Order: sequence, then structure tokens, then C-alpha cells
Amino acid sequence: MTATALDDPVLEELRQILGGDHVLTSRTSRFNRTRVPAPFPVHRWSEYLPDVAVLPTSAEQIAEVVKLANRLRIPIVARAGGTGLADGAVPLRGGIVVDVKLMNRILDIDLVDRTVTVQPGINMLKLNEELKKHGVFYPDDPASYPCSLVGGRIGTSGWSLIGGRYGHTRDLVISMQLVLPTGDIIEVGDGGGRKIRKSSTGFQLKHLFMGHQGTLGICTEATLELVPRAEAEFAAFFGYPDFETAYRSTGALTKSGLATLAGVVLFDEQKVDYLRRDDEAYIPQPPELRSVIATAMYGTLDEVKPAARRLMRIARETGGDYLGDEVSQGDWASRHDRYATPLHGRLRDGTVVPMCWHCEDAAIVYSALPDVRREWHAIAERYIEGYGIFDDWGMFFYTNGPYKPWGDYLVEIDIGIWEQRLDDETWAAWVECKREIAEVSLRYGGSITACHGATRAGDVELVPLEMGGGFEVMKQIKRALDPNNIMNPGKYLLDQAYEDG
Amino acid sequence: MNGFRLQAERPPEPQPVKDGVVMRLEHIYEVDPAAMTVFEQQDLPVWDTLRIVASRWDHLAWMHDHFADRVISAEELEEDGAT
Repeated sequence: MTATALDDPVLEELRQILGGDHVLTSRTSRFNRTRVPAPFPVHRWSEYLPDVAVLPTSAEQIAEVVKLANRLRIPIVARAGGTGLADGAVPLRGGIVVDVKLMNRILDIDLVDRTVTVQPGINMLKLNEELKKHGVFYPDDPASYPCSLVGGRIGTSGWSLIGGRYGHTRDLVISMQLVLPTGDIIEVGDGGGRKIRKSSTGFQLKHLFMGHQGTLGICTEATLELVPRAEAEFAAFFGYPDFETAYRSTGALTKSGLATLAGVVLFDEQKVDYLRRDDEAYIPQPPELRSVIATAMYGTLDEVKPAARRLMRIARETGGDYLGDEVSQGDWASRHDRYATPLHGRLRDGTVVPMCWHCEDAAIVYSALPDVRREWHAIAERYIEGYGIFDDWGMFFYTNGPYKPWGDYLVEIDIGIWEQRLDDETWAAWVECKREIAEVSLRYGGSITACHGATRAGDVELVPLEMGGGFEVMKQIKRALDPNNIMNPGKYLLDQAYEDG
Repeated sequence: MNGFRLQAERPPEPQPVKDGVVMRLEHIYEVDPAAMTVFEQQDLPVWDTLRIVASRWDHLAWMHDHFADRVISAEELEEDGAT
């Protein structure tokens, strides 16, 4: 249905819409807008190249590009930071990559009604540098905080490290403007007001366009929540003799009822072993330290201090040894910027090799965490033994619920992959490994993905199973909004929406 | 001839700390170069290593300041009263 090659008249029409400097056809411009940090079949990179990359500066330009794409049946893939981990921004059928990085302005700061309106190409760290002057903060804090962009956070329905206190992307985006796959520009929120947080008018359309992986439109503006800048931060890391003790302590800490508790992160034994390789906070730790919990609190001084005392007491009463202020504060600060992790790959004999980073992100309830952990490590071990280019970097378990640290967890196993050694056989093995891991998540009543999305091979085949009858609804919505299947086609198996003609 | 000479900035020989980890400069851990046969260690002068380490501490301090006005330590809690 969609074309995959662009000829000169099409490129000329794009230049008329955007200006010549904002239409990029060079190999480097296209190669650099193909993959994302997730594991990628580098030996087949050229199969995923877009035909052209465009850099719009307005919603109207994007709307004209989308209308052109509809007319000529050209695929469109939106790309913000390109830091996602589920291939949402990877073109499957060439076409036009709409790169929103030039749309990076702050449009309005409203300190009375506590909102900030931005374009999708702005980075949260840069946004907060500006907001600091006004004593407010936008608390959307992923591992990619210094490099991801607001548009991508919306496209993936992102998760925040401090979401247990402040909520996640879907809770922090009040409303947005977007270009539909037809080229129409609409605004969606809770009801119709741009700054209304809670409404019961009409359908909850904002949530439909949260986490769609660019299959339903392109965000061109977003109105975001502003919270008071925290007076105080308290971070405390605790060591445990084994995972089971740390797991029970996690349960106690997350159910403590402390409102300023922003996040709890449980590190399993394999994660601590991995960190002992070359992380200065863990190399000198005694061998008896096998598992770790990281905690952080934010709020006013009057709230945080008494809460911190109670937190310390709970951790100690449940078997935790405080690791000290230097480790706690230093390692917590490093949590906001985790994309350097791929430098830690090892083969079984200890040889250092450059590995890319697979970051699993299932959502699993507390009661199932030990079993999921056991099964995932067993899967990783089989593939490491079988293929020699994988590495188990251990697991994290992060509080996942918005505004509450209990209930379900973002469960992460990090697997290193020696990408330079990938070929068709090892890539197929990786996809199978990924599928086995995702199947475990579903078997324990979880979700394949807490925040990255499930658009990749190895995940996407299981989406109909996870969604059940909801997958039919997804197809109907896709067909209704994107009649020509031009918006990120091929993602989420949504081609099936068009198979009956 | 005056000026910078890389040879004059070479770090001391590495001392083993544990499997896979060595130390040349005090409190600065490095991956054992013997394990870096595929991915070789860069040849850095001492001043550059110290610059990178200092930058890392600056970055962490900056991150704290970015997220909150002040950082409370457990030591401070103990000074205020029993934890």
C-alpha cells in the first residue's frame, strides 16, 4: 500500500514545504536516523534506512508533509531523540523520517495555573534548567533524562525514576496538539481545556495518543505539569546478604506510606556481580554484600527529614546495612543518566568487548518477582552458553506505580550483545531469547513492557496475546485514523487492520 | 625544548585490586588492561585521567543540584537525632 522510493519531484515538494536545508538525503543523515540504542541487526542496517529525513519547525509543516505522504502513500516515521528502546522510531519501510529536534522551544510558562507548554523536540534536562529560575520542575526522569525528548516520552508513554512520587509521562502531560495521519491538527487532553487535569467530557483521548509509538500521529505541542522544585533530596542505598532478604525489605519500604518516597530500586545478586566489574561504588564492597536497594525521597525539608528517619529504620529492621553517604548520593545522582552502560561487556573468560545493551522492562506484580527472576536468568544462561556473544548484566526491580511505590514493578534484565559479531543466525537467536523472556512476563500476569513499548521482533508477536480482545480495538482505531497506513506502518502488527481490504 | 610530553605524564604501573580490576592512581579503579585485548585501553596521560575523574564528581554534584535545593545525608539525620 505504501511506496518506498522517493523521486525528485517528491523531494522538491518537500523542499517547498520545509525549505531546502531541512530536507536531508545524504547517507549519513539517513544512517544516523535509522536505529535506536536497542539491539539492532547492524549487519542489515541498510535495510532499515529511510529515504529522506526532514526537520520541520511547525505543526503546519508537519501537516503538509503528512498530507503529501497520504496522497502518494509514503510511510512516515516520527523521530524525537531516537533514544527509545523498542524500535518505535526505526523505519520498517523506508519513507520519510520526521525529525522534530528543531521544534525545541518553550512556548509558555504559566506559574499561576502551574503548566509549561513546549514543542516535542525539547529535552527534559534543558527544560528544567530554564524552569529552575522560577522555582518549579517538570519531574519526568527516565534513564535517558539528558538525551531523550518530550515527543518521544509521549510516543512511548515513558516511565520516570521518581514516578512513585510525581507520576509518569502520561500523568504529567496535561494535553497535547498533534497531527493525525490524515494531516488534520487536533488538540487532546482530559476533556477540552488545555490546562484541565481531570475531566469527564467525551472519550479520554489523551491516553489514546500516549504510547502509540508514532502509529497514530505526531505530537507538535504538549502542555505539561509543573511541580514545586524540591527543597530536599534524600538518597539511601542499603546492602543485603542475599536477594530474598532484599526482596522482603523492598516490600516493607514500598508499603511504608511515606509520601515523599519517590522510588525504590532493588538490585539482584547478578546485578551486584556485574557492578563489581568496573563500578567504583561496588568494587570495594565486601563479598558478603550480594543485593542492594536504592531509595530516594524528594519534598520540603519538613517532610523529607522525618520520613528519611523512618525509612532508615525500616531498612535496618528488615536486614539492610546502610552503604554510606558517598555511595548513596553518588550512585543516586548517576541514576539519571544511564546510557553509558554498554561499555561493560564481558565474555565468559573475562575479556572486555563492546556490547550493546538490551534493557527488558516488563511490568510484574511484587508477588511474582522471585519466580520471574529465576526464569529470566535461566533463559539468559542458555543463550550465553549457546552463542557466546551475550552477557547477563543482572536485574533491577523499580517501583512502577504512579504516585505509589507499591504494587507492580518495572522489572529489568540487562543483556549485553556483541553487536559486531551479529549475523542472521545470532540475530534470530536473540529475537527468540527476547520472546522467551516476554512469554515469562505474560505467564505471571504481567505486561511485556512497562515503558519502552512492544514494537520489536520478539515482543510484537505476543502483543495480541497480552491485549486479548483489545487488539481488535487497536486495529479498528488504527484503520479509522490512518486509512492509508502511512504512519509508522508495520509496527504493532497493525498491518492486519488492512488485510480485509 | 619546553612543552608537554606525553611520556612525562605516564601513570605508575598498575597494581591488582581484585579479579579484573587494577589501580594506578589512588582511589581510581581501572579495568585490568590484560582483559582488554579486543577493546584496548586508551593511552591517557595522568592529567587527563584526573580531569575525567574530577568531571565525573562535578557531574554528580550538578545532578544533585539540578533535582533539589539541597541533599540530606544520613550523617545529618544522626546529628539531628536518633534514626
